[in-house]
Amino acid sequence: MADVINIQMPLWQLLLLLLIPLAAITIMVVWLRRVAYKHSAPEEKRDWSVPPLADGSGTSLLHCWDVRCKIVTILVCSFAIASLSHLEPALVAIGVSLIILVVARVSFAKVLLRLLAITGFVCMFLVVMPFSVPAHNGDTVLVFNGMDWLGFNLRGLRLAATIAAKAIAIAVLMEPLLSTAPLPVTLHGLSRLGAPEMVGQMVLLSYRYLHVFRHEAWRMSSGMQVRGFRKRTDLATLRAVGNFIGMLFVRSFERTERVFDAMRARGYRGRFPEPAELRLRTRDLLLAAVWLTAGAALIAYDRIAW
Amino acid sequence: MHISDGVLPISVTVGCYVASAALVAWSARRTRNEELPKLAVMTAAFFVASLVHVPFGPTSVHLIIPGLTGALLGPSAFLSIGLGLLLQSLLFQFGGLTALGANALMMGLPALACGWFFQRYKGRTQLRQAFVGGLAGAAGTALAAIILAILLVAGGEDFFGVAKIALLAHIPVIIVEGVVSAFTIGFLTRVKPALLQTSFLRQTKAAHG
Repeated sequence: MADVINIQMPLWQLLLLLLIPLAAITIMVVWLRRVAYKHSAPEEKRDWSVPPLADGSGTSLLHCWDVRCKIVTILVCSFAIASLSHLEPALVAIGVSLIILVVARVSFAKVLLRLLAITGFVCMFLVVMPFSVPAHNGDTVLVFNGMDWLGFNLRGLRLAATIAAKAIAIAVLMEPLLSTAPLPVTLHGLSRLGAPEMVGQMVLLSYRYLHVFRHEAWRMSSGMQVRGFRKRTDLATLRAVGNFIGMLFVRSFERTERVFDAMRARGYRGRFPEPAELRLRTRDLLLAAVWLTAGAALIAYDRIAW
Repeated sequence: MHISDGVLPISVTVGCYVASAALVAWSARRTRNEELPKLAVMTAAFFVASLVHVPFGPTSVHLIIPGLTGALLGPSAFLSIGLGLLLQSLLFQFGGLTALGANALMMGLPALACGWFFQRYKGRTQLRQAFVGGLAGAAGTALAAIILAILLVAGGEDFFGVAKIALLAHIPVIIVEGVVSAFTIGFLTRVKPALLQTSFLRQTKAAHG
């Protein structure tokens, strides 16, 4: 292996190298966020007491697929993608995920929201890693104006890009998994696969009350604003926020008791009715087999090609 | 801050899953069966509290509240946090499921530690409870940041720089979180002290028959 390759570059190119991609990403994030929010319904006007669970009506291949096969296949594939260690297979994985997205015909705005949620963490890697990765033999380092301490290591950039590609590929896969069936059915499938039934019930209950408490918090904060409260960087704000959270807890805990009493009064014995009857057909298994082979092929490509 | 998918090496990812599955099972066992639906409803409350943003200079930070969750729920806190993260991944478009185990460890372990710390040292006076609560709140976030850094470093020396930055980025959150937790605990000692007993689930149960 060769030693570290140093390429000298003037300082202004560093600015170019950093500022232009950063600016491009920022502009894109802002624009995409606007697009994504426009396509999902405005938050305040929605009636939160009726949770907008994905209705899962559709006729695509993934909508008809047995939910148990779908969960197992997509989870195994996610882990397969997470185990990739080179950039090229990770890029191929993004391609595969995008194809699945098109086949499943899921809402593009929701996928965008998912991607936006991970941009912060992923961008941290993209910005920090080229500068912080120690230089090994065979690395190419761009040095600016002879400042040795500020080397832009291309291997670090490649590593960060691999991580980003894997994160994107997995995040994109989640939407076909979750929005091609109603949530209760997905959770039912999960419990039929051996997860305790309580898990599904707890997710549904939390989801249902999440919106109630969000509404409560919203009412409380608008009350505070009407009384002249403005958020600033001072102790008074922190005290107000502390009391706000305390009040939220007091109200929610009292509500918890009433909810549980009401559930028992209606005969709750630790079970909800089954939301759907699941039947396993040959083509479900066939689709799973094809998909898993694709995942295995990706790993093989990752391991053997290098 | 959440760990996103694809960052950690696959062995660490799977290891975290196994460890957090064991802790969830332990946590569920420490919670009585009838209390599980209530815990689910409370998880919703914690989730909403974690959406609160507090201004900090030119930016704003949002609370993570592992410390408060631990102080209020005791051993059930791990289950509650795992559930909250699952919800976030399922319904709020946050990331995929492969990093779930690592995230649960990162938030859940501090919650357990701080819950124990708070119950052990809270004392009797209101002032002391608020002070210990603040310490627990700050320590919860600090521990979460440290676990995040350790998990990142597990990826090899290439990740040292990112781990350091991640630790530094948490400092403002630690300060804000500590102060807010102190005020919240202080508020609860005055308004509803029963909530601060870890076994409060059982007590309210008895009160309702």
